[in-house]
Amino acid sequence: MNSTSLQQVEDFLHSLASDYDVRAPILLPDGTRVLGRLEEGPLAIPGGPVDSKPTSPFFPQLDRVFAHRSGRIEMQPPVDKALLVVGLTAEDAESLAFIDEFFASDYRDDVYFNKRDRSVVIVVSGRCGKDDEFLKIAGGNCDLEFVCDGERYILVPYTDSGERLARRAPEGEEGDSIADLQAKSDALPDDDRRVLERASRLLQEDRVPEEFWSEIADRCIACTACNLLCPTCTCFEVFDWAHGEEIERYRLWDSCQLAGFMREASGHNPMGEEHIRTRRRIHHKLAADRTRWGRISCFLCGRCDDVCPSGIGIKAVAREIVRRFGDGDHSRATA
Amino acid sequence: MKRVLTTCPYCGVGCNLYLVVGDDGRLAGVEPSAGHPVSRGQLCIKGWNAFHFVNHPDRLTHPLIRRRGRLVPASWEEALDFVAGRIREIQDTHGPDSVAVFSSAKTTNEENYLTMKLARAVFKTNNVDHCARLCHASTVAGLAAAFGSGAMTNSVSCVEEADLIFVTGSNTTEQHPIIGARIIQACQRGTKLIVADNRKIRLARLADLHLRHRNGTDVALLNAMMHVIIAEGLADDEFIASRTEHYDDLKRVVADYPPAKAAQITGLTPEEIAGAARLFASADRAMIIYAMGITQHSHGVDNVKSCASLAMLTGDLGRPGTGVNPLRGQNNVQGACDMGALPDVYSGYQRVTDDAARVKFERAWNVRGLSGEVGLASTTAVDAAAAGDLKALYVIGENPALSHPDVNHVRAALEKLEFLAVQDIFQTTTADLAHVVLPACSFAEKDGTFTSTERRVQRVRQAVAPIGESRPDWQILCQIASRAGYSRMQYDSPEAVMREIAALTPSYGGIAYSRLEGPGIQWPCPAVDHPGTSILHVGEFARGRGAFLPAEYRQPAELPDEDYPFVLTTGRNYFHFHTGTMTRRSRLLHREERFPYVEIGPEDARALGIRDQQWIHVATRRGEVRVQARVTDTAMKGVLFMPFHYAEAAANLLTINALDPEAKIPEFKVCAARIRSAP
Repeated sequence: MNSTSLQQVEDFLHSLASDYDVRAPILLPDGTRVLGRLEEGPLAIPGGPVDSKPTSPFFPQLDRVFAHRSGRIEMQPPVDKALLVVGLTAEDAESLAFIDEFFASDYRDDVYFNKRDRSVVIVVSGRCGKDDEFLKIAGGNCDLEFVCDGERYILVPYTDSGERLARRAPEGEEGDSIADLQAKSDALPDDDRRVLERASRLLQEDRVPEEFWSEIADRCIACTACNLLCPTCTCFEVFDWAHGEEIERYRLWDSCQLAGFMREASGHNPMGEEHIRTRRRIHHKLAADRTRWGRISCFLCGRCDDVCPSGIGIKAVAREIVRRFGDGDHSRATA
Repeated sequence: MKRVLTTCPYCGVGCNLYLVVGDDGRLAGVEPSAGHPVSRGQLCIKGWNAFHFVNHPDRLTHPLIRRRGRLVPASWEEALDFVAGRIREIQDTHGPDSVAVFSSAKTTNEENYLTMKLARAVFKTNNVDHCARLCHASTVAGLAAAFGSGAMTNSVSCVEEADLIFVTGSNTTEQHPIIGARIIQACQRGTKLIVADNRKIRLARLADLHLRHRNGTDVALLNAMMHVIIAEGLADDEFIASRTEHYDDLKRVVADYPPAKAAQITGLTPEEIAGAARLFASADRAMIIYAMGITQHSHGVDNVKSCASLAMLTGDLGRPGTGVNPLRGQNNVQGACDMGALPDVYSGYQRVTDDAARVKFERAWNVRGLSGEVGLASTTAVDAAAAGDLKALYVIGENPALSHPDVNHVRAALEKLEFLAVQDIFQTTTADLAHVVLPACSFAEKDGTFTSTERRVQRVRQAVAPIGESRPDWQILCQIASRAGYSRMQYDSPEAVMREIAALTPSYGGIAYSRLEGPGIQWPCPAVDHPGTSILHVGEFARGRGAFLPAEYRQPAELPDEDYPFVLTTGRNYFHFHTGTMTRRSRLLHREERFPYVEIGPEDARALGIRDQQWIHVATRRGEVRVQARVTDTAMKGVLFMPFHYAEAAANLLTINALDPEAKIPEFKVCAARIRSAP
């Protein structure tokens, strides 16, 4: 397999900028790593999950849906240049695959697929996380994967577009197979996953009382960051802005942690109490989506736990659920 | 697409964030700054939505001049000439002090400095003030008297180092959410929490002790706590002896406030008061956090001085995890004060009555005849307008027709003015009354600095081009100065203004843009090689010895009676900011709280047959508004709470124009009200 240096990877990405709208991990002045354009700052390929919502290139915070001019509705056209998004982790790619399925089901969300169609997604994995952490190998859910062995990046394509892209990559060394790295990836601890699974079962078995959610809700300041940064959160609000005769319709990231999210026109709100909203956030990912989609829709990217000002991200809450309601399962669950 | 690092335009916590600029040149979102020492990659809901109002279709895009009773578009040339010309005309007829300027805690330090320079150097009046008059004027006066510096003594990070946090009159999780969340996290780790606030706010649910004292009885509560601490030998005698003065005065006053007496005033039990005193005094590091619940009273300065005394009594100053920590409500209200947008001081709190300071500024500005008379406060300026003594008012980024007490009185005062100029980003209630409206740039369209509640001077950076023909406030100010005949107010950039500020302001002496590329610098920063100051009063108070300035309990100006049986208290909610000009144009924020409302306790609601969400009338002796009832146990029996964001049902139609005699801050927190069902 083709194995390239970090410098070669960076040069490669720059060489693609004429054909693609490249979004890659960029180091901003204060140390924030986001998926940005190459001209926004130095590339920061190693470092693990970016701070920003990894699905935001396809589902940005604010997105124009259409404009109404002179009696005609003009839908937002597909993007001119195909997006090339590099720097997702394996967990991010799983999340993206999940929302691909969501946005395509029942009816196809054009606003999303105008960006997602023709896009190329590259996962970065292996020994290139923060503080040398080993990042899980995706093994799919993307077009191409850069698997780092600590020094070099081995290019592993999974789709035709990934193959085509890999062929354009600079000729590096003939690298080893990723078997050793895959073994290392397979051996990564899965404690968090087991905690999540256990919490999911406890929720499905209805073993978490309301009082627990009230306790958690007391600590929630409704900043909404858990939703806004979650790669599988897809809720949005729709609004119109009138600029003279022209009307623009936008959609905007929304949050189930807000009372207005479910408030009815009558004023009645089925999620009018904080503890119900807090419960919903966790329950949706761990129980409802498991019923609807056959899998838990938290892929453990870790962002909500990192960003929550008061320490009630999904991992923290799941740990607490298992500790308190897991019937003595404590030591295993929190190992 | 690009991202521009800047400082949040809402509260005073000073979170940093990136504005995301789309390919169309409009703002498309926000990303938190992961590396910022205060916000640490976190934002509250307002921060996450801080981009939204910038491109709102309602933005003012060109100057407006009133012609035949209507505001109609005009050119900048016309508008600027009109402002400078009218102010000059009025001053020629009525003298320099017939004019006042309201600066803005929303604008930058540079713009506040230029506003006070325009008022003082060009218009020769000290009639310059801003909304600190309505929020922390009591702090500026009270802490300056007690400690020698009227600012937060410690840093936000001290929340994590305290053993005990005493939160009084601050709904921290809603008004300074990132600090509130730090308090929540500290409590999870075992930090003790006392909350003194009769609203059952979020922090009260987590508190070790929640004191629901009657509104406006803080001095009685604090005096009784100090009484217990002294009586039980819990005071820090060594600190008192080595660092303070006038302790005998304090002992004499608080001796008359045993818990039993204070219990009668506050409605608490003597045990609650004594328990709070013991808990507070038992902590090695106790931190006092307060906000409007302390300051917005006709005895606000007494409240502040009493908080200062409590901290000195237990030696909780000058160390990590301690201090007296007023949380400033606006992004740059600290900076606006620092810059001298106040009627009594130049930048750095140099007094206008001090001849040496006056001479220093006359030389620097190359002018003669700076006024040595303390000017009008924004509250007393409105009174002067009502009395016909003030003839012209230039309002920058403030909305007194909604934010000041008793807005019927304010409206009548503004209508009486010969000239009212308003400079803002949206057409506000105040701008509706103006003779000229100047469209200003928002925080996203200009460079500058804001100073946060922990005295951190931070950069504001331009992300997008000015909307329409709007201009940055600093440019407008300079253009007016020039038209008024003053040539020494021309700058290439805000950075050049900061160089002048640093040269004239000792506490900002070491502030320079080249040093602000990182997370900012906390003043005092007297020299370019000074690292800034995270904790004030270490080893010695700014004034030398800390002064105990005890106060007797005084009742609020208006208490409930038979006709008006409720206490009405006002404030902000989580989703909106002040008069709502920005947040009510931010989709999610407006959706969350669309309607004006009043919080009422379940028992009162039952007794009056009022249902949740029912529209009711709330009336005081000043007026009446129609609002939704919000039946909630957050409200204590007998107390109503109304946010003041809503022009259609202005809480300040109801509030009383009763001022603290020293700070001239209005008593927004207590007046008497009654309610009735609305048809």
